[in-house]
Amino acid sequence: MATRTLPKTDVVIVGGGWTGLTAAYELAHAGQRCVVLERGQNRHTATSFAGPEEHDELKYALRHGHMQDLKKETLTFRNNRDQQALPMRRLGSFLPGTGLGGAGIHWNGQIWRPLPSDLEMRSHYEDRYGSQFIPDDLTIQDWGVTYDELEPHLDFFERICGAAGYAGNLNGETRAGGNVFEGQRSADYPNPAMKQPISNTLFGKAAEKLGYNPFPMPSANVTQAYENPYGAQLHPCTYCGFCERFGCGYFAKADPIICVYDRIKDHDNFEIRFEAQVLRVEKSEDGQTATGVTYLGEDGVEVFQPADTVCLNAYGLWNVHLMLVSDLGKPYDPATRTGVVGRNYAYQTVAAVDAFFDSDVITNPFMGAGALGVVVDDFNGDNFDHAELGFLGGGYIACKQYNGRPISYQPTPEGTPAWGGDWKRAVRENYNHHGDLVIHGSSVSTHENYLDLDPTWTDAYGRPLLRMTFNFPDNDRKMGDYVMNRAVEIAQEMDNVTSVSSVNMAAKGKDYSIVPYQTTHNAGGAVMGTDPTTSVVNRFGQMWDHHNVFVFGACLFPQNPGYNPTGPLMGLAYWTLDHMKTDYLSNPRPLMDA
Amino acid sequence: MTLVYHSINGEISMHHRFSRRAVLLSMGGAALSASMPVRHAFAQMDAEPWAFLTDDEARWLAAIADIFIPEDDHPSASQAGVVDYIDMQLATGYGQGQGLYLQGPFPEGTPEQGWQLPVTPAELIRNGIAAAREETDLATLPDTDRLTWVEAFSKREDPIGDAPAQTFFGELLSLTKEGYFADPIYLGNHDYAGWRMVGFPGAHAYFTERVGDNAPTKQPPMGIAHGQLGHRAPRPISQEG
Repeated sequence: MATRTLPKTDVVIVGGGWTGLTAAYELAHAGQRCVVLERGQNRHTATSFAGPEEHDELKYALRHGHMQDLKKETLTFRNNRDQQALPMRRLGSFLPGTGLGGAGIHWNGQIWRPLPSDLEMRSHYEDRYGSQFIPDDLTIQDWGVTYDELEPHLDFFERICGAAGYAGNLNGETRAGGNVFEGQRSADYPNPAMKQPISNTLFGKAAEKLGYNPFPMPSANVTQAYENPYGAQLHPCTYCGFCERFGCGYFAKADPIICVYDRIKDHDNFEIRFEAQVLRVEKSEDGQTATGVTYLGEDGVEVFQPADTVCLNAYGLWNVHLMLVSDLGKPYDPATRTGVVGRNYAYQTVAAVDAFFDSDVITNPFMGAGALGVVVDDFNGDNFDHAELGFLGGGYIACKQYNGRPISYQPTPEGTPAWGGDWKRAVRENYNHHGDLVIHGSSVSTHENYLDLDPTWTDAYGRPLLRMTFNFPDNDRKMGDYVMNRAVEIAQEMDNVTSVSSVNMAAKGKDYSIVPYQTTHNAGGAVMGTDPTTSVVNRFGQMWDHHNVFVFGACLFPQNPGYNPTGPLMGLAYWTLDHMKTDYLSNPRPLMDA
Repeated sequence: MTLVYHSINGEISMHHRFSRRAVLLSMGGAALSASMPVRHAFAQMDAEPWAFLTDDEARWLAAIADIFIPEDDHPSASQAGVVDYIDMQLATGYGQGQGLYLQGPFPEGTPEQGWQLPVTPAELIRNGIAAAREETDLATLPDTDRLTWVEAFSKREDPIGDAPAQTFFGELLSLTKEGYFADPIYLGNHDYAGWRMVGFPGAHAYFTERVGDNAPTKQPPMGIAHGQLGHRAPRPISQEG
């Protein structure tokens, strides 16, 4: 029982990142009194992320200065149900954030839209390839919302970020130089695309020679002075090379603090409490609705914050954890394949290709930005014929220049030893002559990849840890190999390239490991849909079981497309908020029949 | 007897200190060449205390770090201050287990499950060095035998004392590389040894006009505290016990 009970508020919001602050902005302006509970500390882009102090690779990239403290909260991990899951004692494969702005301050700013077919994955593949095409072990499903429904919201978020790019499909007109596979856009990007370094330019030339359709990666690293629709001022990117894992003190990478928080913090309907660790969501006696949340306040006392509406805006994994420890929704059981909370956890299937240039190409890899890339989308989603390939899904191939920081960026050709004189020479000789290609692939959902509660370990608050059971599905291993081999062909076609090497994180026989960094794109676990037996929330992000609980973030994705999640999850957030404002709040009820 | 340390470019910025060692150091790089006998009655008292390491541990770390990153046209690991870096890392957050979930039990896991030891990195390294030195003291081996020993260590499956060999080896290699390339505020990368070697210009970074160029960068390295602190030189490490 909570020690202290506060006066009721209209909306309580768990988490002060992109979705939480945006929910507060939109709902406060709709007349709702909003309380945001952020487990981390207050900070500001201007004072907390300024250079040169922020440009500290050791502190932020290796020691994870902006990331969550595993001593307080972590999860356990295993590859399959036959193993004992063990705690993730150290951060590695993914890096959830903490503090004002959440992981939104240390994203790379790659701002994507899903393909129309991504959002209707099951029905799309069945329509195109027949109902027998999708293997039985896959639990992929439609999102319950279409691209056309999301388009205005995806567009609005691009405006919030001052996104830089070049439209490939503007009002139905296909434009060379943009992504010709993308869904129809109602408007071009608000800012012009980024300048490209030599490595990315050579990649684009080679891709074009092979008949592909290269385009500049859409970027929330802003390219000119810009004011967003909330009135925030953004500045042009300096290509400083400290994006991912760092905050941007230049105000050049869109983040939730400058783009949203500064524009809402003084509003009468807005309040934020820091170091407020939410412990559980409380339910009404009949179990039909939530009554608010209990959190641990700064002084270590449990506080109950009653609210009419509860918004779950924590990082996707912790939204699922909060549901499980609060007994919200029916937990998924892989033995019976029933239940929904924790079902369809998915990740991202990543491979890398290294292209080494001769000395005529000087890449200056430290001149970079998180979303500085040239991309080929010809092998993403269902942009290519899957009929004879034996897998579904795909990924984009990008040549990127974003992290030439010298502790982590030590590209060496295949066969180079890991240490010693030969290693040292190879690091020196290749640092400035390397093209960095990534294959950023989709991740299908299966019956056996899921989240539940661990029976052994607890967090600092005495709650059972979240337990992750995950390995790469065979489908994604094949997909990763296929798309990676296309990337190798492009790399071999690049001018001045002397050698090419590649690694597929999901190669056959290689188990998913929690140790090396891959992506902070954990998806699923509280998925959306139109059927309450296979989704936690309806197509509006509203819980089927508790109509006054709305869920945000990548935990909603029924499977993970081959794109970075921030664009799609923010499109969904605006979609949900639109329905809350125009339909739900004036008449709270289930927005869909179960 | 030799000193692992020698000054780089003769630049020593310790003039504000008044110890016997500072006097020696102020004589410049030549005075500290590998052949010069500087060991004397006051050596132990002169040595600035390590934050965490013992002298024996420092010697052992210098020996292995200089196998990982040997001297060539560019300084070796210990010449670039990597042992000073490791000392500070083990004494502070990383070494002391900051952000490391250490709640038991501690069953053995798979490599994919990552760190499962009931100890902090500082404890792992202290215990590991002690156990390794009981087998063979790397620091006392001739150079060629050191390389052979480290090669065997890199492939070793049996634990060293309680320390799983591969975890222990991985931490040592990571720390050495970090110390060579991290900002000099962390005491390694002395005189920007690592940054000069690859051509990384550092923390002061504005490349809007240059990002598309295919041309070398002439900008000399500048760290976070460039010109403000006068980073101190690496501690001399006596190779005698």
